[in-house]
Amino acid sequence: MAAVSLSKVEKTYPNGFKAVHGVDLQVRDGEFMVFVGPSGCAKSTLLRMIAGLESISGGELRIGDRVVNELPPKARGIAMVFQNYALYPHMKVYDNLAFGLKLAGTAKAELDQRVRHAAQLLEMEHLLDRYPKQLSGGQAQRVAVGRAIVKQPEVFLFDEPLSNLDAKLRAAMRVRLTELHRTLKEQGKPATVIYVTHDQTEAMTMGERICVLKEGVIQQVDTPVALYQRPANAFVAGFIGSPEMNLVPAELADGAVRVGGQVLPLRRAVSLHLGKVTFGLRPEHIGAVARPDAVPMQATLKFVEHMGSEVYVHADMGGLAMSARVPAEQATALESAERGSSITLYGLIEHAHLFDAETGVVLG
Amino acid sequence: MYENRRLGFLFVLPFVLGVLLFKLFPFVMSFALSFTEYDVMDPPQYVGLQNYRELALEDPLFRQSLGVTLWFALLAVPARVGFALFVAHVLNARMRGINFFRSAFYLPSILGGSIATAVLWRFLFAKNGLVNGVLVQLGFEPVAWLADEHYSMWTIVLLFMWQFGSAMVIFLAALQNVPTSLYEAAEIDGASRWQQFWRITVPLITPVIFFNLIMQMVHAFQEFNAPYMVTEGGPLSSTYVLALYIYDQSFRYFNLGYGAALSWVLFAIVAGLAAFSFWSQKYWVFYAGEKEKSK
Amino acid sequence: MDERAGTPWLRYLAMGAVSLVMLYPLIWLVGATFKSNAEIFTEIGFIPSRISFEAYAKGWKTSTEYTFATYFLNSFLITLPRIVVTVISCVLVAYAFARFEFFAKKTLFAVMVGTMMLPLIVLRLPQYLMFREVGMLDSYWPLILPSAFATDTFFVFMLVQFLRGIPRDMEEAAMIDGCNAIQMLWHIIVPLLKPAIISVIVFQFIWTMNDFMGPLIYLASVEKYPVSLALKMSIGATEEVEWANVIAISVVALIPSVAVFFAAQKHFIEGATSSGIKG
Repeated sequence: MAAVSLSKVEKTYPNGFKAVHGVDLQVRDGEFMVFVGPSGCAKSTLLRMIAGLESISGGELRIGDRVVNELPPKARGIAMVFQNYALYPHMKVYDNLAFGLKLAGTAKAELDQRVRHAAQLLEMEHLLDRYPKQLSGGQAQRVAVGRAIVKQPEVFLFDEPLSNLDAKLRAAMRVRLTELHRTLKEQGKPATVIYVTHDQTEAMTMGERICVLKEGVIQQVDTPVALYQRPANAFVAGFIGSPEMNLVPAELADGAVRVGGQVLPLRRAVSLHLGKVTFGLRPEHIGAVARPDAVPMQATLKFVEHMGSEVYVHADMGGLAMSARVPAEQATALESAERGSSITLYGLIEHAHLFDAETGVVLG
Repeated sequence: MYENRRLGFLFVLPFVLGVLLFKLFPFVMSFALSFTEYDVMDPPQYVGLQNYRELALEDPLFRQSLGVTLWFALLAVPARVGFALFVAHVLNARMRGINFFRSAFYLPSILGGSIATAVLWRFLFAKNGLVNGVLVQLGFEPVAWLADEHYSMWTIVLLFMWQFGSAMVIFLAALQNVPTSLYEAAEIDGASRWQQFWRITVPLITPVIFFNLIMQMVHAFQEFNAPYMVTEGGPLSSTYVLALYIYDQSFRYFNLGYGAALSWVLFAIVAGLAAFSFWSQKYWVFYAGEKEKSK
Repeated sequence: MDERAGTPWLRYLAMGAVSLVMLYPLIWLVGATFKSNAEIFTEIGFIPSRISFEAYAKGWKTSTEYTFATYFLNSFLITLPRIVVTVISCVLVAYAFARFEFFAKKTLFAVMVGTMMLPLIVLRLPQYLMFREVGMLDSYWPLILPSAFATDTFFVFMLVQFLRGIPRDMEEAAMIDGCNAIQMLWHIIVPLLKPAIISVIVFQFIWTMNDFMGPLIYLASVEKYPVSLALKMSIGATEEVEWANVIAISVVALIPSVAVFFAAQKHFIEGATSSGIKG
């Protein structure tokens, strides 16, 4: 139970490559913070720096009140759950859980109590006598989590723990982990969690706050809803939300935006200066049926993906690719339309985002 | 923990000491000794290049021994490597009882280097030994394997070849790394088994062939037990390999300076052949690209 | 693995033929130990007409003042300590090369690979002189001591290759759990290295039991002779050899190696192949 504070933290490798550029971040005590970003964004590197498995080239890292830059992992009060579980294959599950405590010289009675308590929390008391190779992926992952819980650390670190599980198991584990966090909080032992993932669904559903990273630089730190509704730049806008937001080049004119060969009235455009922008509109904000708050957009149909309750419509608007997420009932006309035929889509224009064409920073 | 360079060096210290004490220092000492005359009783006397001159110009036994050693290596190394490859190829199959055969073929290798085997070999090829016994049964004349200088070499070549197990195991591992899909693609392309072996298998395992050739060459040049025990270097020095000559000069006659010079000539030859092989590998060894190591 | 159907019977035939040629001498020799001296030279079949253990008894007693009991004991007195120091030193050094960073690591690794190919012959004489200087001749020290310094570079190499194939995750978890280097080695590394260590033990056992030149150079007293030298003695300088006895005792000399091989069978071939060409 401690806060984690990163202040101008950076990392440069011996070959000169700078992986992390001056990161400033405050993780609150008991918070579930998610690091998310594409591969190469240094989210795992940052996590490992917090763990003490990678060295910190510059800046200050604090856990609780202590500066821990120079401390080895075991002295930092952290516990880590690895992507590949990293269970000790020659030890039973019980011993896997107990290993850290045994090394620390914990008394047998307390050790046993802590191990069993963790096993109970994760519903794996019946697995204590098994060896890792006898466990399924989900069970192995639970043991890895249990090993972290047993240590009662100040901060929990998760490094893409669900990546090796199949989709269904992943969904189940997501729920289990989120509930575990809540349970611990209710029991008066809130856990500070830093969770790394490349999957934005995991990030959105599990995180209390999300830190979006790109190439070692923080793009935005905010709650999931805020990231979705108010992305700070084009990268975050395109990364958060599935399917991806439509991001296309456009131009601002008086009270309107010129995009895809059409002029769409946009009230906001009045107060912003004219010129090139990146226009962003989420597929879920484009429909197939006219509405008072929607603006018609002419496009050519490319193809349609059926998702059951929804239909993804892929169209070409003046040379720009746009996709729309449309409830199935509204899409019946589109389904029978031919490829290449002209269709009209209706965009909720006031939900559009405008970004600077060069820097990607949000405008207005 | 692993960036702690001092700790790392501490762990590797035994090796550093070992190399200095038991490899580097003797290596240099051996070189120095080769320029002296030394018989253990009296201190060594510096004699310049006399030893080398002597072995190059005035020592017919050296020339004989060198010839014998080269001839032995020329016969034994391809025999062992080729046979190992053949057997590994035959064993590279998932069939019932395959493990039994693998052990069966590996076993002689383990036993082969022992003196016990050398003794047994000596018996097998004796005038009235088993080999001649079988030959006679098949209607051939018995051969004076050990007594005739034309046949003696074959006995030790055969013994060397009999211990192909280590090379075979390494080949087996390499063969198992060749993806079956390549053979399947070749079969669709119309290649016969024979063609597949020569045009897919062999090219892909050339690094391993190279490795085995080098290792076996180094072993062959140092072969001591077999010539010592089975043929005792004879008859008429027909199997008097350099290892035996060096041993005799160093430990029987105590011409330590000369023995050192001889061993350095042997070392130079092996090093030269190894260097040549390393240089030549760009012409015939094919590396299928670096394999990515997993995290 | 070549899993195609092909012609299995052809393979079996080839394997069978080669196995027969390979193993028949051994089978025959085992049978020969039960035959009389005369029968050995006349019969090529391997089944003796009558079983006699006379060859074993006589061979065991040898023509020297010691029986083979002494010689076997000596062999073990050399082999077992050597195995212990080999495993300890090679694991430590391999661990360093596979995981740590340290001064001149690349150079030292190159030296290690280079010395694997170095002909031993060159070093024999100077090593002999060195041991002579410190008065260790006619003892087992010269045979055991070098192995305590990880000079059996083949084993170091094999262990390094094996360790390189093991992901570091568990060690990182252990670091977080609070392991120092020694605890890491004992609790994590050594258990993971078990198959490779078993291979080292088996190889070193067999090679040391078979080592001839080493004892030949360093041992002078007959009472210290290991089995390999004792066998040489039994041949003597002449052609007149009690072959039945010699063969019997040679077969017995091979038994420990064969036993160890089969005992560790599964690990043996695995260990050799994992040291092989896999990356």
